[in-house]
Amino acid sequence: MAMISITRTDFRTHRVLRSARTATAVLVAAVSCLAAAGARAATESGAGARAVIAETVEEVLAVLRDKSVPTEDRIRSIEEIVYGRFDLCVMSRLVLARNWKRFSEEQKAEYVKEFKRYLTNSYGSRIERYDQQEVEIIGEREEPRGDVVVQTKIMGGEFEGAVVEYRLRNRAEGWRVIDVVIEGISMVSNYRDQFKSIVSSGGPELLLEKLRQKNAAGMAID
Amino acid sequence: MKPWGDPARRMRLIALVVIAAALGAGVAWADADADAGDPWETMNRGIFRFNEGADRWVIEPIAKGVDFVMPDPVERAIRKFFVNSMIPIHFLNGLLQFKPLAAFEDLARFVVNTTIGVAGFFDPASYFGLEEHQEDFGQTLGVWGVPPGPYLVLPLMGPSNPRDTVGLIADSAALVYPYFVPFYVSASIGVGRQLNRRSLALDEIAAQREEALDYYVAVRNAYTSYRENQLRDREEDESDGDDLYYPD
Repeated sequence: MAMISITRTDFRTHRVLRSARTATAVLVAAVSCLAAAGARAATESGAGARAVIAETVEEVLAVLRDKSVPTEDRIRSIEEIVYGRFDLCVMSRLVLARNWKRFSEEQKAEYVKEFKRYLTNSYGSRIERYDQQEVEIIGEREEPRGDVVVQTKIMGGEFEGAVVEYRLRNRAEGWRVIDVVIEGISMVSNYRDQFKSIVSSGGPELLLEKLRQKNAAGMAID
Repeated sequence: MKPWGDPARRMRLIALVVIAAALGAGVAWADADADAGDPWETMNRGIFRFNEGADRWVIEPIAKGVDFVMPDPVERAIRKFFVNSMIPIHFLNGLLQFKPLAAFEDLARFVVNTTIGVAGFFDPASYFGLEEHQEDFGQTLGVWGVPPGPYLVLPLMGPSNPRDTVGLIADSAALVYPYFVPFYVSASIGVGRQLNRRSLALDEIAAQREEALDYYVAVRNAYTSYRENQLRDREEDESDGDDLYYPD
């Protein structure tokens, strides 16, 4: 708890410095994000979804194993691999759920961008701790409304035997991951609960403020 | 042996009665306020803050010490030992949940790991393809149709709910050895077990704390989802998560 209440004195400076760069980047992100929403290709079998996960896992593990490459470069490579297969627009919308409508277009765009940075910072910090784990795909199932869930299991290390499920949706660009569920704990649901309590106490601006603050604190690996 | 003569044991019985009453209250409360999710949030956050303080100033530093002295493989072996020692409880709960196959698979694990696996420090049973089913009394109550009740943070024990609290007490009452050793021995074993678990999770907990926007909510969501998932036994979820994945 105490961690969260720490206020960073240098955080305002970061904000001012970044706001100019943000403004342009945000507009680009917004356009692509809104255009992609709603697009949906013809349904194919779950094999397509499974192939996406198999490829992603293989590529990510290859990067993780090669410890000769500096951490920052490996984070970049993984970001490229993962964000190519994740639909961050859908994901960030699902996280906000009904609150999405409370955000203005500008706020939506900034939120999607900050949320992505936040994910990168959160998961990037775990790269150093990779300890030769392997990932086994144990099956997939089609959900009633067309999403496909691919189930994997972690072999070895501190999370030995943990079941990780990837939920994929068929988008115009192909199968894209929209949620990661670890032992029943959904990433979308977990962030949704956290963000909901923040938005209901301080509105969209408080959530953006908190995301900026976290991202500024995690800038060391950015 | 005077089973209920010892004050510690009498306290445990009293606690059971109190918690059972709380369970009743909790269920009633949950029905009245089903959508609120966390009607005890103010109290819970207070206890959570206390637990975080205790962790920061006492438990985590000791766990760091443990982690420094003991190599990870040793800590993992100790965790396996503790998990194995709980199997008789899991076996009983498997039976109570009308899952004889799972229960006897657990029993087979116990036999294999206690003998070939040297008192449970190694896990040859997994190598033989015997899967573990960590059934506890909280899940048994769930199978019997008892609702979890509101989210409840217990002092030092952490995230729970009235149903799982009763389960925790019932499971520890069903452990046989504490009736035959002095209280401080079983207390030390319990502390040792928690410290070992904590020292295995040092990095992960630090990372979660650091990154969460609201750590209390993150933990609440994780605990609730994890327990629901355990109760489903990883079977297919038929609801398709309509609210989660199709919010519009």
